[in-house]
Amino acid sequence: MTDSQSRHPSRGFQSRSSQSRGFWAEAWARFRRKPLAMAALAFVTLLAAVALLAPAIAGTKPVLCRYKGRIYAPCLGYFDRRLEPTIFAKDRFRGTYPRNLKEKDPNSWAIWPLVFQDPHRAVRDNEWPGRPANPAKDEGRPNGINLFGTDQYGVDVFAKMVHGTTIALLVGVVSMGLAGTIGIIVGALGGYFGGWIDMLTSRITEIVMCVPTLVLILAVIAIVEKPTIWKTMAIIGATGWTGIARLTRGEFLRLRQSEFVTAARATGAGPVRIMLRHILPNALAPVLVPITFGIASAILTESSLSFLGFGPPPPAASWGSLLNDARSNLSMWWLVVFPGVAIFLTVLAYNLIGEGLQEVTDPRLREARK
Amino acid sequence: MTAPLLEINNLVTAFHTPAGRVPAVDGVSLSIERGKTLGLVGESGCGKSVTAMSILRLVAAPGVIEAGEILLRDASGAAVNLVTLPEPRLREVRGGRIGMIFQEPMTSLNPVFTIGDQIAEAVLLHRDVSRAEARGRALEMLELVRIADPKRRLDEYPHQLSGGMRQRVVIAMALACEPDLIIADEPTTALDVTIQAQILDLLADLRQRLGTAILLITHDLGVVAETCDDVAVMYAGRIVEQAPAAALFAKPRHPYTIGLLAARPERGGHAGRKAGDRAIGRLRTIPGMVPAPQHFPAGCRFHPRCAFARLPECAGAMPELREVATGHFVRCPYADALGEPRRLDEPREQIA
Repeated sequence: MTDSQSRHPSRGFQSRSSQSRGFWAEAWARFRRKPLAMAALAFVTLLAAVALLAPAIAGTKPVLCRYKGRIYAPCLGYFDRRLEPTIFAKDRFRGTYPRNLKEKDPNSWAIWPLVFQDPHRAVRDNEWPGRPANPAKDEGRPNGINLFGTDQYGVDVFAKMVHGTTIALLVGVVSMGLAGTIGIIVGALGGYFGGWIDMLTSRITEIVMCVPTLVLILAVIAIVEKPTIWKTMAIIGATGWTGIARLTRGEFLRLRQSEFVTAARATGAGPVRIMLRHILPNALAPVLVPITFGIASAILTESSLSFLGFGPPPPAASWGSLLNDARSNLSMWWLVVFPGVAIFLTVLAYNLIGEGLQEVTDPRLREARK
Repeated sequence: MTAPLLEINNLVTAFHTPAGRVPAVDGVSLSIERGKTLGLVGESGCGKSVTAMSILRLVAAPGVIEAGEILLRDASGAAVNLVTLPEPRLREVRGGRIGMIFQEPMTSLNPVFTIGDQIAEAVLLHRDVSRAEARGRALEMLELVRIADPKRRLDEYPHQLSGGMRQRVVIAMALACEPDLIIADEPTTALDVTIQAQILDLLADLRQRLGTAILLITHDLGVVAETCDDVAVMYAGRIVEQAPAAALFAKPRHPYTIGLLAARPERGGHAGRKAGDRAIGRLRTIPGMVPAPQHFPAGCRFHPRCAFARLPECAGAMPELREVATGHFVRCPYADALGEPRRLDEPREQIA
């Protein structure tokens, strides 16, 4: 035991109290001290919860019910039609649960969603015992039953928005998941190997960068037979990776020269292992930032598309397509305000998270803020 | 004597820069016996690190090994040439049969992984063991390099350790697979003096216990005197003198070596220095700088800085490395005359 540290126990103690945690734990500790970024993160978490629990928040199908001696969860039908138990179709419910349940099985019980409103159709007269039908046209201003009002056909806006959350979040996460994967692979190959590989990947990146995403999506939608939200996400992802690739390339170029990479090579690690295990974790923090910003811009792109009328096919509705509805009914201000605010807040939240990430992971910014 | 563990013959490593070909290592031959320590000494820029990196083919682009062979022998004496070995098999040698220790312990560890992970990975790359076994081995290695409280250190990150401790970790990684040879590229340069001594003691001790040969690259002659069996002195991409350590320090033959030895700060007395030197305690230096490889002078590359150079002979042909005493090789035609230490006190005026 000859090291100076062991001779000076106080020094060892100090280094211990300054906490033994890794880079990400350290970054998280700093992130937690940023109220705006934390609020944004909380908002996105809330949105994720809303997306997951959408059928339990707003719907006309029971979350859980007991019918003819068995327990069912008809609300799953909102995720996918095939998940709705077939017994209800066989018993001719026609999507109207409250009355039919009682009539066809007096012993039945049901747990209903928080808000009894359907995202796909207007609630009819007396569908919920004692409650009138949803108002249509500009009668449907927000009230106690239709929190955010109804659209021109009487469909509840709140229910539409709650169910549209899934799309808003999926668009960001799926398209940037794809873009991140492509961008990191392309950037890593170019940055690590250099030479003609770098030449090739850089040129491809530049070419893709020249493609205007929105126009490409419109063109593809015009060509493909069944435009779905998934195809839109795929195109946003397939064109949105260029910034990530460039950043990854830069990080790999820099880290490839670092001594610990040489040291890793000297212990016999191969190129794949060096890229994945030694360089990527060190490059991840700066790459995460454009991915977060990318999520925000993907949500905006999807909203613009839906606003232009190229949104997901009905009955699914995204926030952008609600805005599209508002275009022809400008007197119905609630069709503009609620979805508009939702889009604005979500994009803002992702941008705030991205900025927070940048500040806690970039040592230069971190110093500047002190 | 059996064949040496590592034999470098006529190694040429050059960098192809836009400004032209830069031969950083220009015909170096070295050999290291099993279990022995060879010190490779020289000023910054003389090519000693490039020589070390060439052995494991770690020279970064645009550096290329242009000529020569590097033979690594196993216990049975069978040799592989590392210069031509295919990459996958070279990877088995890296870290497996030859371990490497770098100069900067601050940057040679990956900042995002724990110490234990990094040592365990070095083991996993070469040994067919489970993660748990590799971790056990990592703990063993930390104990071997005498890190205090090794169990706790295993789960710590590099930034939590002091420079000396990090260098111990780097040594532990290099030794984890029991290599035959350790290349230590200025292992103590970045450390403060007390830690330097500890690390050198550790290396010497480990060499004795494990029988690992060491190629120690340094510019510090004091380090060489304490730890090496043999010494090779490099200047401007070439070996200028090579001898057993004792012989070299007792009777340096090349003017460059003589200059290096004279440039050492001496504790206590002023050996090798004239009593009449104006400022007592001022260090003697070798005038000038190592020339950049693209500006190597013709003839003996040291002659523009040499206190004993005789023009025009020294600027004519490159002198050959020749044996002046048993095992003592010098690249200077006047080596025999220079064996006399008193000549040190009569330096000629520096030539322009």
